[in-house]
Amino acid sequence: MAIRFDYLAKETGTNLVRNPSLTLAAVLTVAVSLALLGFSLIFREGVGRVSDRWSDDVEFIVWMRPDASDEQISAVDQKLAASPLVADHSYVNRAATFAEFVEYFEEVPEVVQTVEPEQLPTSYRVVPTQTDLSFVDSLGQEYEGQPGVSEVVFAGDFIKQLNAITGLAINGVTIVAAVAAVAALLLMYNTIRTAVFARRREVEVMKLVGATNWFVRIPFMLEGLVQGLIGAGVAVLAMFGVNRMIRDSRAAAELDFVNSFVLQPADLGPISLWLLLAGAAIGAIGSGFAVTRYLDA
Amino acid sequence: MIKLDDVTKTYSGENVALRSANADITKGEFVFLVGPSGSGKSTMLRLMNKSEEPDSGRIFVAGKDIGKLSSWKVPMLRRNIGSIFQDYKLLPNKTVAENVSFALEVIGRPRSVIKTQVPQICELVGLGDKAEKYPHQLSGGEQQRVSIARAFVNRPLILLADEPTGNLDPQTAIGIMRLLDRINKTGTTVVMATHDAKIVDTMQRRVIQLDTGNIVRDEREATYG
Ligand SMILES: Nc1ncnc2c1ncn2[C@@H]1O[C@H](COP(=O)(O)OP(=O)(O)O)[C@@H](O)[C@H]1O
Ligand SMILES: [Mg+2]
Repeated sequence: MAIRFDYLAKETGTNLVRNPSLTLAAVLTVAVSLALLGFSLIFREGVGRVSDRWSDDVEFIVWMRPDASDEQISAVDQKLAASPLVADHSYVNRAATFAEFVEYFEEVPEVVQTVEPEQLPTSYRVVPTQTDLSFVDSLGQEYEGQPGVSEVVFAGDFIKQLNAITGLAINGVTIVAAVAAVAALLLMYNTIRTAVFARRREVEVMKLVGATNWFVRIPFMLEGLVQGLIGAGVAVLAMFGVNRMIRDSRAAAELDFVNSFVLQPADLGPISLWLLLAGAAIGAIGSGFAVTRYLDA
Repeated sequence: MIKLDDVTKTYSGENVALRSANADITKGEFVFLVGPSGSGKSTMLRLMNKSEEPDSGRIFVAGKDIGKLSSWKVPMLRRNIGSIFQDYKLLPNKTVAENVSFALEVIGRPRSVIKTQVPQICELVGLGDKAEKYPHQLSGGEQQRVSIARAFVNRPLILLADEPTGNLDPQTAIGIMRLLDRINKTGTTVVMATHDAKIVDTMQRRVIQLDTGNIVRDEREATYG
């Protein structure tokens, strides 16, 4: 006693167009909730990337005095190289410092003109073996009094704050995404319950003439699946649109930070796929449950 | 064909709709359930196709205790029992032919069967020329004929009719009774709830009379009383 395909196609088709406002409500419900979910996923990826970028950076910088002698400079180099607590260090000479300086003050050439490369200090950028803040601090202190060293600057304080903020942001976004998913399921359930209620006579007749529960349920589930898929499609389009807007914006061109929130096609593909799957599942499962209420009679 | 064995049904605690009812309806019989509103006629019919469960007692259909039927087999029971109602229960957005074929489609009958059965049954109930009409384009009597066609298209063993003439004028009601009589003559057992005395008196069939949930009379070739 298989369900005939032409029966299913006909029922699903006519039911979808018969009550356009309910169909639209279901589609929009899924679209809005999944778009919300999509945006939170984008945001999550972006925040993760920003955090990664900063965490990879130098943990502290040992600035040499501009008048430090070559011996003093190579003494610091040797100490850094010998220390088992230092993972990596690099020397930034005058020319490199000047290049960075020029880049930094690109907009204000007057400042650049006042400086000669010889006046600039050189520095060591140090990556310790551990990122633990107190570890980095105490390691950095060792170089404070070293001859020829002007000061040790810690990236730690900034990273510490940034990590705290991104941690909060990721948690917040995860909660928003979870709430959006639950909201989608509930809204879909309710919308379809309304649709099923509108067709309770049909369900009653089906039961009366001896249709099995699955025979009653499957057209509704298929209908929900189609609505969920269309809704998810709208959400995916919205996500692509917003992503493109961010990518093409001036802010993204000028700020690395904003650029972090632009997703690459490689990320968008899986996210779209997940949203479509979620839409189909929400639609089918929501309808399945919604119709069950009318089945035990 | 249908047997009630000491059946009691209570709604929401204390409202007794049927009390220790016993009845034995044989194959091919035509039985009227009579009694005033609220006496338990509809309840008795709903118990027979497992739309309701009794509190106690057993109900047999075609020799099987339907209380022991697992829930997935209930659809199979219903395929052997046609049901018609005072309000027809037609689907307003489907034509006469579609209303009837819907009943066959949802139990998974092949298209070829539907193609031959539906025009046949429409002809049988006297609606051969109205197959493409929608319910709202039909009179009450014609709508009831559609619902009879839908209930009978699957050739059930039993037809349960709950006040099928309740909304019809006497002349139209007679036409419906003729149709039910013809269906009964094909061997289908018919159980019909009604409080239309004239119909019962004219038909001279078995009468089971209910009063506030008690069977107070069960008589052959009887009148409304
Ligand atoms: N679904 C229900 N819930 C509660 N009480 C009901 C329900 N259906 C019927 N009853 C009660 O059961 C009694 C018998 O009702 P019913 O079988 O419909 O009688 P009839 O069909 O003879 O008018 C009445 O008192 C009615 O109020
Ligand atoms: Mg009644």
